[in-house]
Amino acid sequence: MTVTPGWYMALAAVLFVIGATGILVRRNALVMFMSIELMLNAVNLTFVAAGRQIGLIEGQLSVLFVMVVAAAEVTVGLAIIVAVFRRRSTASVDELAGMRG
Amino acid sequence: MTLADYLPIALMLILGVGFAAVMMLASWRLGPNRPTPEKLAPYECGIVPLQEPVERFPVKFYIVAMLFVIFDVELIFLFAWAVRFDQFGWAGIGAMAIFVALLIETLVYVWKRGALDWNVASRERYRRVVAPDAEVAPREAA
Amino acid sequence: MNVDYHALAPEIILGITVLAVLVVDLLRIPKYWTAVIGLVGLFAAFVPVLTLGFCESLDFCTEPETAQRVLFGGSFVVDTFSLVLKGLFLGATAVALLLSVGYIEEDRYWQGEFYFLMLCSALGAVVLASSRDLVTLFVALELVTGPTFLMAGWRKGDPRSNEAALKYFIIGVLSAAILLFGMSLVYGYTGELTFGGIRAATAALGDSALLTIGVILTLLGFAFKVSAVPFHFWTPDTYQGAPIPVTAYLSVVSKTAGFVGLLTLSYQAFAELRDVWGPLLWILAALSMTVGNLIAVRQDDIVRLLGYSSIAQGGFILVPFGAAVAGNVTGDQLEQAFFATVTYLLIYAVMNMGAFAVVIAGANRLKSTLIADWGGLSSYAPGLAGLLALFFASLAGIPPIAGWFAKLVMFSSVLGVDSGWATALAVIAVLNSVVAFYYYAKVIKSAWFDQVPDTIPAAELRGMGRAVAPSLQFALVLTAVGVLVLGIFPNLIADVGDVAKTVAAGF
Repeated sequence: MTVTPGWYMALAAVLFVIGATGILVRRNALVMFMSIELMLNAVNLTFVAAGRQIGLIEGQLSVLFVMVVAAAEVTVGLAIIVAVFRRRSTASVDELAGMRG
Repeated sequence: MTLADYLPIALMLILGVGFAAVMMLASWRLGPNRPTPEKLAPYECGIVPLQEPVERFPVKFYIVAMLFVIFDVELIFLFAWAVRFDQFGWAGIGAMAIFVALLIETLVYVWKRGALDWNVASRERYRRVVAPDAEVAPREAA
Repeated sequence: MNVDYHALAPEIILGITVLAVLVVDLLRIPKYWTAVIGLVGLFAAFVPVLTLGFCESLDFCTEPETAQRVLFGGSFVVDTFSLVLKGLFLGATAVALLLSVGYIEEDRYWQGEFYFLMLCSALGAVVLASSRDLVTLFVALELVTGPTFLMAGWRKGDPRSNEAALKYFIIGVLSAAILLFGMSLVYGYTGELTFGGIRAATAALGDSALLTIGVILTLLGFAFKVSAVPFHFWTPDTYQGAPIPVTAYLSVVSKTAGFVGLLTLSYQAFAELRDVWGPLLWILAALSMTVGNLIAVRQDDIVRLLGYSSIAQGGFILVPFGAAVAGNVTGDQLEQAFFATVTYLLIYAVMNMGAFAVVIAGANRLKSTLIADWGGLSSYAPGLAGLLALFFASLAGIPPIAGWFAKLVMFSSVLGVDSGWATALAVIAVLNSVVAFYYYAKVIKSAWFDQVPDTIPAAELRGMGRAVAPSLQFALVLTAVGVLVLGIFPNLIADVGDVAKTVAAGF
């Protein structure tokens, strides 16, 4: 049995769906955040697999940019979550529902 | 790539897991184990804790961790450039010099703002610059 | 490697400004210099936009004015379309900066980084206007949104600001992930990253399920950014919780950036896939208009009302995209639709900035954003009440204030298409304009014809302490002149019609 790039893309799709489910089901900001990271890594896998299949380097190049942007967002996100946590001692999104309407 | 090519990886995994399992098993079976109530208490002397302590790390740990993540990942671009730097010539070196200069500027900024200082709360500069209002009640929402 | 530095000048100047603001923030000089330098940098970056736009008539270069400057292998294109939008982004950021000067400094959370973040975000928007490949587009878009997460949560101790930032962040990153997954599928199918390459590849390879999913996910990612219904639920909370100048920035610059991405992707990269994005954006337009307007009617907080109003306005901006739903649409009609969207974006930026400027000026005085508390504003602040009426009438689309022209081109772009679906969208847009008129008029009525509420001592207000800050006055005058001039001389905007030709060319 050979493992073709198609398999990796299927795996990436599965990872993406797991991440998306995590966002919908979990209510802890940190866990939601981890789910998003899972989705971003699914994207990376797709880019690499696609680049490999076509035989172009751009797929791998895109991954570098995605990783750096994701890292920048991790930093911003953690800063926000820490700020929220210091104030509320909770990271649950449901408990942060002061505004409605 | 066929499945057979994954054999070394599989062997490596089995070896790694097996080694750890053997070590743990050996220490469990061979080591002397004569427990007494005193030995099982969390502290040999003092009061038995009633609840788990709330784990609150000082924020400075987060700041350093965040800064590490960001500077660490930014270096990816150096790798992409380094594998072909001879082909990019001076233009490539110039571009990378600008990139690194930007990173250095951020580092200097972070440093000057005191974010890298471990013992930050004791410094007057912290109170004045980084958190002039650290313990003040929040203003009423407009 | 030859780089056309003239074409890159706006970005370079803005980048240097960003660094300068960071350095100045460290020096022991008064903090307002960060704002001054930021403002100077924005105006300086505007100069090359003008020299590029009027290149030939100013004898700067020999190329014709409509020439595209293609850089970095087609990833970065400077043409009339991108220049117009760069101008919009720079101008809107300058106004947002003016709005922040008084507001953010009064707050206890004032830090020099605020202007750094805002300028970084503006830099992203300016790059975005020229991005013509998936990776550049993505990086530019994230540069626009990344700093705004922090700006939305600027008031660290205020739970509502925290909530605004956290919701905005989670949704923003989620949308980025969806957008990227779509992009990776498009790349996987076409093997191209540049828009031109994608277009050629889709024309050659034809349709496939994978490509369709990729296109839909990419556009849905943008639907989050432009807060189109049903991806809007973060918008009202974020707009209400964030500091009001940040809300103004989000509702204009950040939103327009999303629309620019939608425009370039749909009309360039996915030009051959009109039967995929046409219906999708048709649905989003109809839903955004209807839901945004219907919920806006019930709002009693003026910032939240503007939040829902901006969702509805986003729906109006999406309407011209819906013209592509017709199978028999011609190149001319698509150019017209493209032109309509750009026009609406320009006018929306001016009038929405103005509306927020008025709200900030009023909120500074009244310490309240409830519409009921604004009753009788004209009796003690006639100037402010007049401006309020001006901007809200523009948002409602009453001639001769700018908004009507935006609505006009929007309607004509869909009515010109000979298709039942396009006409249906126009009908929905008309009905929504009526609903929108009702709640905009409600605010104007409250300010002009209602009594001053008892909870606010009228005598105290009349003697009224703080005058409007000079920077805020400047912003108010700028936007007020903007809506009047654009409304009375719409030809100024119509001349921008060249814009459409350069980008939508080739249909």
